Amino acid sequence: MEEVDKILIHALKQVGTDVPEEVDSVKLFSSELVVEAVVSCLRVIDPGLGQGLPTSLPPGMSARFRVGMSLAQACQDIGYKGELGYQTFLYSSEPEIRSLLMFLVEKLPRGSAESSDQSTGKSMLLHKGIAAAMKAELAVPWLPLNCRLHRDAPTHAPDVLYHFHAQPLSLVHSPAGTQPCKEEREYHRDLLPPVTCQISHQPGVVSSLLEQHTAECSAAQEWNHEWNNQGLLSRLTPHEYRLRKRCRLRQRIEEQLRSAAQSSSDTGSHSASDLSDLLQTFKGHSSNAHMLTKGSHFNHTQKFTFTQVCSTVMQVWGGGVENLMNLMNLMNLMNLFYASSVHMYFFDMLCTDGILLLSFHKVLNDINKRDRENEMKRDQIQVKKKTMDLLPHAEENLHKIQALVETSAKRVLSLAAQWEKHRAPLIEENRRLKEICRIQDVSTELESLPQDVSRSAYTQRILEIVSNIKKQKEEIFKILSDTKELQKEINNLTGKLDRTFAVTDELIFKDAKRDESVRKSYKHLAALHENCNQLIQTIEDTGSILREIRDLEEQIESENGNKTVANLERILEDYKASNLFSPMMG
Amino acid sequence: MESSESVQRGLKLLADPCVFEPRSFSVMLDVCFRSVLVAPGDASVLDHPELKNLDQILVKQSHTAVVTFVLECVKLNTDKSTLSSCLEELSFSAERIEIFHNKLVSPVHALFCNIICLFSLGRRLPEINDVSWRLQYQIKSAQVDKVDEPFYLITLNTEVNKEAESSEDVNFSCTVEQLQDLVGKLKDAAKSLERAGQM
Repeated sequence: MEEVDKILIHALKQVGTDVPEEVDSVKLFSSELVVEAVVSCLRVIDPGLGQGLPTSLPPGMSARFRVGMSLAQACQDIGYKGELGYQTFLYSSEPEIRSLLMFLVEKLPRGSAESSDQSTGKSMLLHKGIAAAMKAELAVPWLPLNCRLHRDAPTHAPDVLYHFHAQPLSLVHSPAGTQPCKEEREYHRDLLPPVTCQISHQPGVVSSLLEQHTAECSAAQEWNHEWNNQGLLSRLTPHEYRLRKRCRLRQRIEEQLRSAAQSSSDTGSHSASDLSDLLQTFKGHSSNAHMLTKGSHFNHTQKFTFTQVCSTVMQVWGGGVENLMNLMNLMNLMNLFYASSVHMYFFDMLCTDGILLLSFHKVLNDINKRDRENEMKRDQIQVKKKTMDLLPHAEENLHKIQALVETSAKRVLSLAAQWEKHRAPLIEENRRLKEICRIQDVSTELESLPQDVSRSAYTQRILEIVSNIKKQKEEIFKILSDTKELQKEINNLTGKLDRTFAVTDELIFKDAKRDESVRKSYKHLAALHENCNQLIQTIEDTGSILREIRDLEEQIESENGNKTVANLERILEDYKASNLFSPMMG
Repeated sequence: MESSESVQRGLKLLADPCVFEPRSFSVMLDVCFRSVLVAPGDASVLDHPELKNLDQILVKQSHTAVVTFVLECVKLNTDKSTLSSCLEELSFSAERIEIFHNKLVSPVHALFCNIICLFSLGRRLPEINDVSWRLQYQIKSAQVDKVDEPFYLITLNTEVNKEAESSEDVNFSCTVEQLQDLVGKLKDAAKSLERAGQM
């Protein structure tokens, strides 16, 4: 009962009834409180119905009577099927009030019973804002161009329309977080014109400022997004993560440029479109998540040897490499920043520079290829010379070579075993960390669940109650089966008793005609039977009387809850009060 | 309202009373508003005697930040509460917020901001001002001997865009059914607009 009362009071508080703190059960509800609760529920369920009803009982007796009747009528209109009348509200009894309040609380629309409205999402707000703005614009009357005042300008087209043309601005601080050098600082301090003077056309100033701001904001957002999704997984600091990403992109650019340079040296045609195609192709791969997975040990060594080859080749190229790296830096920056304001002539300049560099590098490439071929041929000559030298002692040399081959095979095997040994714990750790991640995700999900304490407590209680009821059901079944057993035994015994008595009775009666003592014993038997019957009867009567006592006690308890005496006294007082008035009014 | 790091940094400098005293604060705001609205391209706009004592780098940083912030405020049409909450986060004192807000909504600045800066940027379809129509009756044509049909010639006068230096009137001819179809579609569009406004 306490849980039910608590739920009722909670719901009534949310509807707007002012339930005082010390009232924690329906028993303690006064008539005023009952009326207030019922009226506030009615107002939520059906505003039209509830508007005409006052929240408090008026002082006059007849007015109170009328209010009680209207409340009862309203509740019955909604669909309450129990007995209702003015007496339910003026002279309330606990079970009636409880059932009425339960009915009303169930009828409350779901939205008002929820405390936190988490459905006003951003999209709903946006839609509402859009609808309000459209309504406001529709309400403004149309005026011809000559009659329009400037204050209406936002809603109507202005005289002049400039195109949104953003140009890059040079700002004072450096975005990458590196400290500028002394000369730069002097330039910033003394010579750099203020931002608004860097562009001559005023709308251009506005567009460039807005564009610059949007670029910074979206770059920050993208970085946040990337860091939250992939950066945290890689478990590096932001600085290391950025460095690694830069190295990766640089490698990819190198590969692409090299392959494109080689293919263009085969076809023999250079044009700006090649470079732009190049840039297009690796721009398309920019979201390749494959690059982020941790490679195995062998993959890393492979990449490492490749970069070593690259760097040695690059060193041979000498000064041209610097330009190439600058070119790649530039393209790196272009790719990493969200630049919507790159002009085509800037890009073309870059392309022509690229063409010159490529042709220069192609020539160097050819020279290097020839050199490498020469090297290879020299190596081959050396090997052949050595084999010629070894030929005279062919047998022992063959044995030596075989021994060498065996030792190297054994070494390979041992290395593989070592690698396996290393791999197993790493895999274990990987699995463990994945577990931890999963647990963390689950716990964050759990925390983000809405903290609705009362609901979970109630569900717990409900589950407890359900299990209790199950146990009680089992006990009742046991008791019922015991009772049935007992009853069967009683029936058996009674039957046996009757049969034995009938047999004994006949037997002794036959002999009683002749013998005096047998007649006496027959009388004793009859008396014994009679007395036992009476005993059994008394026992049964005692049992039924005990049951009646229990029923009456329950009835007394329930009637005591009705406060009938208090209500009767109040009715008497009210009757007296109304009688006092009526003779006056005559 | 989102602002980038550089804007936040510049505004924090502006809010700092050690860097910008109250007098130089209001002078700075005036200078910033003038530089973007009244006299753009004027390189001497930051050469105010009050601002000469301060570090020019800080002055330029906060100038950029304030100008960007003002343009963003006007673009998003922020009300006073959003503006004050943004500035409070950047540790502006209440009186400085008040001064900023007053300068932002003062009639002079608001007028310039709205008309000159932002609403004259962008591309727009020409707005229809007026309609003139002519009903003609076609009797014959070179291909067909007998036509006997009425046609409408409709001209939609649009607003003149001074930069484009041409009036982009829309001229077309249509049959009666096509005109009815067009009017029906316009009515549908108006109704759906009203419905969207009531959502």
